[in-house]
Amino acid sequence: MTVKIERGQIVTVERGKRTARRLPGMGLLDGMAVVWKHWAGSFRKNQGFNDIHGVFTYEYPEERPKLPEAYRNMPILLYDDETSHELCTSCFQCERICPPQVIHMTQAKDPATGKPVPAVAEFVIEYDACMSCGFCAEVCPFDAIKMDHEFELSTADHQKLTVFKEQLNRPISYYERIAPTMWAEVRDGAMKKLQGNIKRRPDVIGMAPNLAEKIAARRRELEAAAAAATAPAAPAAAPAEGRKLTPEEKAAKLAAIKAANAAKKAGDTVEPPVAPAGAAPADEKAARLAAIRAKNAARKGEAPDAPPVVAGEPAGEAPPADEKAARLAAIRAKNAARKAAEGSDGAPVEANVAATEPAAAPPAAGAATSAAEAATAPADEKAARLAAIRAKNAARKAAGGGSDAAAPTTTGNVDSGGPGASDDAALS
Amino acid sequence: MNTGKLAFPMPLPAGVGTPSAPGGLEGQTSQEKPVRISVRRSRVDGCSTKDPAMFKTEELQINIGPQHPSTHGVFRMLVTVDGETIIDLKPVFGYLHRNHEQIAEQNTYLQNMPYTDRLDYFNSMANNQAYAMAVEKLAGIEVPERAEYIRVLMVELTRILNHAGALGFLINDMGMWQTQLAFGMREREKILDLFEMASGARMMCNYFRFGGVVRDLPPEFMPKLKELLVAMPAFVDELERLLRENEILMQRAEGIGILPKELALAYSVTGPVLRGSGVPYDIRKAEPYSVYDRFDFDVPVGSVGDVYDRFLVRIEEMRQSKRIIEQIVEQLPDARGGHINPRARQNVRPPVGDAYARIESPKGELGFYLVSDGSPRPYRYKVRAPSFINLTPLGDMCRGYKVADVVVILGSIDIVMGEVDR
Ligand code: SF4
Ligand code: SF4
Repeated sequence: MTVKIERGQIVTVERGKRTARRLPGMGLLDGMAVVWKHWAGSFRKNQGFNDIHGVFTYEYPEERPKLPEAYRNMPILLYDDETSHELCTSCFQCERICPPQVIHMTQAKDPATGKPVPAVAEFVIEYDACMSCGFCAEVCPFDAIKMDHEFELSTADHQKLTVFKEQLNRPISYYERIAPTMWAEVRDGAMKKLQGNIKRRPDVIGMAPNLAEKIAARRRELEAAAAAATAPAAPAAAPAEGRKLTPEEKAAKLAAIKAANAAKKAGDTVEPPVAPAGAAPADEKAARLAAIRAKNAARKGEAPDAPPVVAGEPAGEAPPADEKAARLAAIRAKNAARKAAEGSDGAPVEANVAATEPAAAPPAAGAATSAAEAATAPADEKAARLAAIRAKNAARKAAGGGSDAAAPTTTGNVDSGGPGASDDAALS
Repeated sequence: MNTGKLAFPMPLPAGVGTPSAPGGLEGQTSQEKPVRISVRRSRVDGCSTKDPAMFKTEELQINIGPQHPSTHGVFRMLVTVDGETIIDLKPVFGYLHRNHEQIAEQNTYLQNMPYTDRLDYFNSMANNQAYAMAVEKLAGIEVPERAEYIRVLMVELTRILNHAGALGFLINDMGMWQTQLAFGMREREKILDLFEMASGARMMCNYFRFGGVVRDLPPEFMPKLKELLVAMPAFVDELERLLRENEILMQRAEGIGILPKELALAYSVTGPVLRGSGVPYDIRKAEPYSVYDRFDFDVPVGSVGDVYDRFLVRIEEMRQSKRIIEQIVEQLPDARGGHINPRARQNVRPPVGDAYARIESPKGELGFYLVSDGSPRPYRYKVRAPSFINLTPLGDMCRGYKVADVVVILGSIDIVMGEVDR
């Protein structure tokens, strides 16, 4: 019986046997044929969505299906790979929307003024009660909280499912890997907002707490900036650096580039003329400044705490050829600096210190050890050492008036290494 | 002692034959008729066989569930049997009660969306749609055409996966163990893969938002869906071939659990159970919502109203759902608008009033009744859950059949306890 209705009909389903075979047991055998077909198919893999036979299971722990980008399991917090600043500003949007109310946080406060800072002090998610709804990731205006693809979270320790910021933090590069297009859609906006927020974060507030090394580096950078500000010659350096919180560039590198630039300029002014006997006072000052920075940089380089580098961090940058050149430059620079210090009467003591400290070992043995160290040292230690070398070169050039033959090649090396002319407020 | 109390799996308080339900629905019944079973013990006890009660058959009250694999969750049936025959059966719910409606009244409207996933966890997309429609009605939110198509697509996929699973479980309940269930689950997994692609989760999709869906279909979705549609007829045909004329299934299903038309209507039964009883009532036709008025599809109905009819109706509904999806695939590229209404606010504050929205969920009429007092939280939130209503005539459907049939009849109603108890 069928009745026509609008855009379709009402059909009464046909009961009983439809086929001509009315022999008892035929239906059963027919059904068995289906089962046998599946059995025969079970010796091959399922070919995809248009195949209804074959083995369609995964041998799970060894074989893992690719999860789609949109997959969501538990929320994580993101931090920037470069500055290690967290994207979260503790705006409380996610805490408010979370249906089971499992997100808790406290806002960071500036210890000096007591004013709230756009950064989060502590962030807790109770994973055991999270319903993986993804609302937190949807509402976050800073794209700071995202849904992870990690699903093997079972543990015998219930306490572990209350997750704190240290365990929630993931670098952006991690999220970019699991969800490239979803991150690409929001990246520009998120990074712009982050830059704005970093400017409003004093000290090391807002940096991922699990990156103690980075925080220590940043602290030293700030100290160096403060020290540079007190140096008589360069009052302008402090604000310039204080503002310059952006790059993950370790303090050492920054100082070194500046020093190198300063030195180069000094060298440029000195070289074309026939090196005026009593090199201009400005030059000397620049050299001293460079030396101070180099010293700081060197001190930073010796930082004892070296937690394992986070996966997302750029690996050590110097290819072997560069490394060798740098090492060579360091040895030469040391010698040159010593010579320069002996030669010029007013040469700053710091220059000497700076020159000797990083190399720290007799040239012959030092070459071997520093090579070994350079190969294994974490990225920023290496960078600090490199910076010291560069600063030394600069100092030598400034002091010695560029008489050494090796100078042009090493400076060339330095220039190619640094990200070009950062504003050298130190000199102006 | 020649007669003994039936050994219950749990210790009982003195004088109570059965553990009383949370609601205390049948506590009295069980006291009136203490559970006794006549067991012929060996004479070693020294009992007298002269006792006439020993040879009389007695009505016996037993519990099926709440912890029983065939009850599809924590569900108890208080069965009065005479031998193997069911004299009476009372469904006892409430073991999975988790205060869903009360929680929903503490939450904002949007926060309830993921909770609706957990009602009928097989069909989270359908639950999402009913709830989103209710809120949209209450707050007057428009849904773009494309979003409507995506919604219907998802709900029809849900219907296929629900029926594939439900038939598998039904056959499982009959004792055919996992064969059909495994075949059904494989198709279900493919559909869940599609859901995962679009929404990020396989079961707790939380995909719908007020005014649309949370994100558009990813580019790899449509090719996969088309592949799936290629295989779908073969799957349904195979299912039918496997079972439809299977003598064992027919013996277990034909003429079992008959729910007459009038009784079904009197109990407000909906969905495949009602259609199996021969009432051509489908909300998609009776009161077309969303874009259902644009698709050609048939409404299958049964003629007897037994387990077999419900089984056949579900098979046919899978075919019709596939038909609808094919039409969606054709029409979707021309649909206007994006996946969500950009002006729709998610933190809605509907004006004072109430709204009821209902859809034809795979299990029947799923409705959400919301009352707003103008605040961001619903003043009243009520779910009209098809599983719950369809379960109420269970006693009438089972009366007169054997104990083994109860399991099959229950399987043919297709309940999810998450929705029954809320
Ligand atoms: S995670 Fe996002 S939404 Fe949550 S407080 Fe941080 S910035 Fe706000
Ligand atoms: S995913 Fe949902 S439940 Fe989990 S923390 Fe985020 S908002 Fe809360």
